[in-house]
Amino acid sequence: MFRSTEPAAGAAGHLRCAGAGGARPGRAARTLAAVAAAALACGLAACGSSPASGGGNGSIVFADVAPFSGPDAALGPTYLVSCQGTTNAINKAGGVLGHKVSCTSADTKGDPADANPAVGSLLARTPNLSLVIGCTSDEAAAVVPVINSHKTVMFCMTGQSEFDHTHYDYFYRLVPPDLAESYAMTVIAQNLGYKKIALAFGNDIGSQTFVQPAVSAIGKAGMTLVANETLDLNATTFRTEAEKIVQAHPDAIMTEALGSADPTLFAEIKQLNNGRMIPIIGTSAAISPAFYQAAAKAVGASAFAANFHADNLVTATSGPAYNAFTQALLAVKGKVANAQTGNFTTYFTAPGAVHLYDGMNLAALAMIAAGSTDTAKWKPFIATIGDGVPGAVVVNSFAQGVRELKAGKKIRYEGPGGPTSFDAFHDSPGIFQIDTYTAAGAVQVSGNITSAQLRAVSG
Amino acid sequence: MSIFLASVGFGLITAAVLAIAAVGFTLQFAVTDVLNLAFAAIMTLGAFVAYWINQAGVSVWVALPAAMAVCSAISVLLNFLVYAPFQRRGSSPITIVIVSLGMALIIQFGVQAIVGGVNVSYTMGQGTTLRAGGLILTTVQLVIIAISVVVMVAVYALLRYTKLGKSMRATAANRSLARNCGIRTSRVITITWALTGALSGLAGTVFAIDIGSFGPTSTDLFVVLILAAVFLGGPGHAYGAMLGALLIGIATEVSAAYIQPDYKYVIAFVALLGVLSLRPSGLFGARA
Repeated sequence: MFRSTEPAAGAAGHLRCAGAGGARPGRAARTLAAVAAAALACGLAACGSSPASGGGNGSIVFADVAPFSGPDAALGPTYLVSCQGTTNAINKAGGVLGHKVSCTSADTKGDPADANPAVGSLLARTPNLSLVIGCTSDEAAAVVPVINSHKTVMFCMTGQSEFDHTHYDYFYRLVPPDLAESYAMTVIAQNLGYKKIALAFGNDIGSQTFVQPAVSAIGKAGMTLVANETLDLNATTFRTEAEKIVQAHPDAIMTEALGSADPTLFAEIKQLNNGRMIPIIGTSAAISPAFYQAAAKAVGASAFAANFHADNLVTATSGPAYNAFTQALLAVKGKVANAQTGNFTTYFTAPGAVHLYDGMNLAALAMIAAGSTDTAKWKPFIATIGDGVPGAVVVNSFAQGVRELKAGKKIRYEGPGGPTSFDAFHDSPGIFQIDTYTAAGAVQVSGNITSAQLRAVSG
Repeated sequence: MSIFLASVGFGLITAAVLAIAAVGFTLQFAVTDVLNLAFAAIMTLGAFVAYWINQAGVSVWVALPAAMAVCSAISVLLNFLVYAPFQRRGSSPITIVIVSLGMALIIQFGVQAIVGGVNVSYTMGQGTTLRAGGLILTTVQLVIIAISVVVMVAVYALLRYTKLGKSMRATAANRSLARNCGIRTSRVITITWALTGALSGLAGTVFAIDIGSFGPTSTDLFVVLILAAVFLGGPGHAYGAMLGALLIGIATEVSAAYIQPDYKYVIAFVALLGVLSLRPSGLFGARA
């Protein structure tokens, strides 16, 4: 009974006749069309990549290739905080061989289909690109081969196991494979005495990679898997999934569903479970200000803090490396777009912030050690400086490393992420700790996970 | 059985939110001839307007009318500055659709530029959880369902009993004829943009209340659900959109109870394709 039967073109044509009495409407329409087209172009450009700061002549550019939009949009800004802080500290210490270092970014949207054109655009517009950081599990499989063929060194945050045994010359990784994180989450559940586990992982590549290792580890640990829900990260509610989990009566939920998915799920579980949260075990990706803020808002800060644990790589919480790192990040506090939310100190333990800081320092020191910004010349020095050589002096910051190199000494860099030990595939997995949040959003270490514990649950 | 009944209840709340948006969208399309894909982006804007007011210590229920007013004004401006000039130039419907897609991106990324890529929540309680016969709903969800029912009745009354509603129906049916009959169609169209813009603000705010945690991209999939509900009911049919929303809402939640949940929208769209293959014009459209 309520239906449009008139063709739109017909209606428009009629209106055009009615308005044909003067030239003004036509000019106005053209002007508005041009404005709209320009705005559309700007909008589409915003979907792609955008420089975070200029990379002028003579400068060296580090690029943050990560999601800045979509469900994993919190990752890109976290890495950018690290990039801006690190490059700022490098520049304060005199730069790299007389070059200033700057950061740029490419928004992958956490989707391989969007990541490839974004990286293509980045490579085309950044002739002085020296290093790529980021490349999360969402997009690594798509972009790593492209960046590798461009002969650009990258420090990636992906945990995908395909990089455990596939050699890319220019690929480096300071984080463990995802299956190790699944084992670490299982050990946390074991330590806390949980017997019945529910899984709730997002349907993105980066989250799904945890599921099978977790299923295997839960069985090996003698625990029972009572629910396994895959969450569509674009969905707006998970009520039915939450009710299935509540009805399964798990002792704890292992989860990684970033963006609004996990906070929404937590809130709905709390609501359906008579106002009580079920304990949550998250991945290291949950250690970020954005995640804490969204989750705490959804279920209440104290309830979230009391019911949340996450695995995280062991990072320094004091000492010279930690001090240099925190000073570097604090210097850019409030200056990085989209990263001003929540408790800034959470970045001090965010895996992306810590390990990419180390990766960038390693790269910059390698350039100085090689006396060249030519990738082919400085790349071999990454492992040399990271793993060290006999007689090398341990340095804990870029500035200290430069001083020792200028003094003619060999150095071994040990940043806040601890010492590195690169294998043949340029992987340097660290060791795990157990993190919790305080009600104020500060991260605290509540325990450690030993290699023996990981081996005991590994498949 | 209990998970089935629970999922039906969850489907009702999803349908309630979807119905407000779908009715607004289809009214807008019917009267203005613009398939406005920016509708969901304006919903997001409305949700954030309510959020900003809420952060100032004001109840989100008080902020809701303000969100409706802002979205109403934005919608009128969107038509005045963008869509109407394109229509005056005789742009084809597909051109308008592409323009609206561009506007959706501009609004969405504009909001993201302001708030960042983070998710936020209103400062509010969800009320008491009520359980009855397997249904599990909070008092806030019941309020949302009540709002939706009131909106549906109001839209029915508007279209059925008021002069404006009749003018809207006439404009939708045949704009030229309506104008020749003395209806000031341009005014009717502007009022339609204002009304449907207000509905988008209302839908955006109750959507954000319902999902608990939301961000600039939260309505990305919801716009597809709106389109599904609209086309299931028959594009341009307000009552069809109501029924479409109900079917899509319940189908997604019930299917999530029995299959891998990330396929729940696939099930809904399979149902949509099934219905459209039998009735290409939708449930309320003319028979093919």
